[in-house]
Amino acid sequence: MSAKNIFLKPGFVRAPLQNGVGRYVCQLQRIVLKFCKSNGSSRGLRDYIEQDLVDFAKENPGVVVYLKPRRHRGPVVVAEYLNGDRVWMNMHNKTHSEITKWIDVLRTQQGDNSTTRLRKYQYTDHPSIQGPWTPFTFKNPALNTAELPNQAYGANDRLPMSATEQLRLMFEAQKLGKNEELKTAE
Amino acid sequence: MSAAKRVQQWATFARTWHIFDCKWQDPYESANVIKKYLMGLHKPIYHPMNDCGDVVVCINSREIALRGDEWRKRAYFHHTGYPGGASWTLAWELHNKDPTMIIKKAVYRAMKGNLQRRHTMERLLIYPGETVPEDVLQNVTSQIRQNRLVPTRLDHIPEEVSKGYPKVMDYPEDYILK
Repeated sequence: MSAKNIFLKPGFVRAPLQNGVGRYVCQLQRIVLKFCKSNGSSRGLRDYIEQDLVDFAKENPGVVVYLKPRRHRGPVVVAEYLNGDRVWMNMHNKTHSEITKWIDVLRTQQGDNSTTRLRKYQYTDHPSIQGPWTPFTFKNPALNTAELPNQAYGANDRLPMSATEQLRLMFEAQKLGKNEELKTAE
Repeated sequence: MSAAKRVQQWATFARTWHIFDCKWQDPYESANVIKKYLMGLHKPIYHPMNDCGDVVVCINSREIALRGDEWRKRAYFHHTGYPGGASWTLAWELHNKDPTMIIKKAVYRAMKGNLQRRHTMERLLIYPGETVPEDVLQNVTSQIRQNRLVPTRLDHIPEEVSKGYPKVMDYPEDYILK
């Protein structure tokens, strides 16, 4: 996490509440399009209003659409959602097709999810089937009764066998099989 | 949070007390091992923002082994802040003054760049010898394995073991050992 994310609302990744499995409830409740009638930066938004806005309102009867002309101010779209979120989006110099796509994003998203800092990129209601890890998982049970410090648990047991030790083992093996090894030539 | 979940939380985030025997160990090598346990890096639940570090008890810090002639060559720098306040202390001098200081500084240095290291160091307990206070030792449930094999001194090997050790040849009867 960097310092620029520190004031973002923290949250988890979540599933979209099964919306649309039985019936679909449009999460967008209200959309306000603010624009200037004369300024060139509102050109794209004015085009959208002239050509697509009536169709948009007809297709989405659950969404309240407001238009707010205002002189010499930048074009802005404000969307309000069922959970109370409010998304402010600047449409300065955006073309008609860009605005169509952005308004489609605002219509289909579920609340304001671009300004949450994801605390983790994964989330589950059932973190573990076998039970969460504890410090005692996979521990050697002999440690429960061991008297620590103990060199048997403290010495490095991953070192390769030394040549001296190897020779000693060879010697021991030779002693065990002494009678079989002693063979005459004939 | 239900009672069962609360107990689960305690179990998962329980602090383990580890003991580490510094005898014949390189402090800079073992600092990298101790650091992992202090910060909780050895746990599958590790995350930099959760507090899952363990307590490490170091014993025998007087018996550490430095590489080569580092006892004579390695210098520890300190500056009082006043003009002319710089001082360089050789490793052997520092070790004579405080036998826990070299391992402490080595672990602190191994955690360079970690903002939490001053607080993490509070969980590192170092004792110069074998003796550990009883209230510390009763918490210890785990031992950290050493990096290096502790060599056995020739005069510490029992008589019968050295007698039974395989030999390539015997010295002749009239051979005079120096």
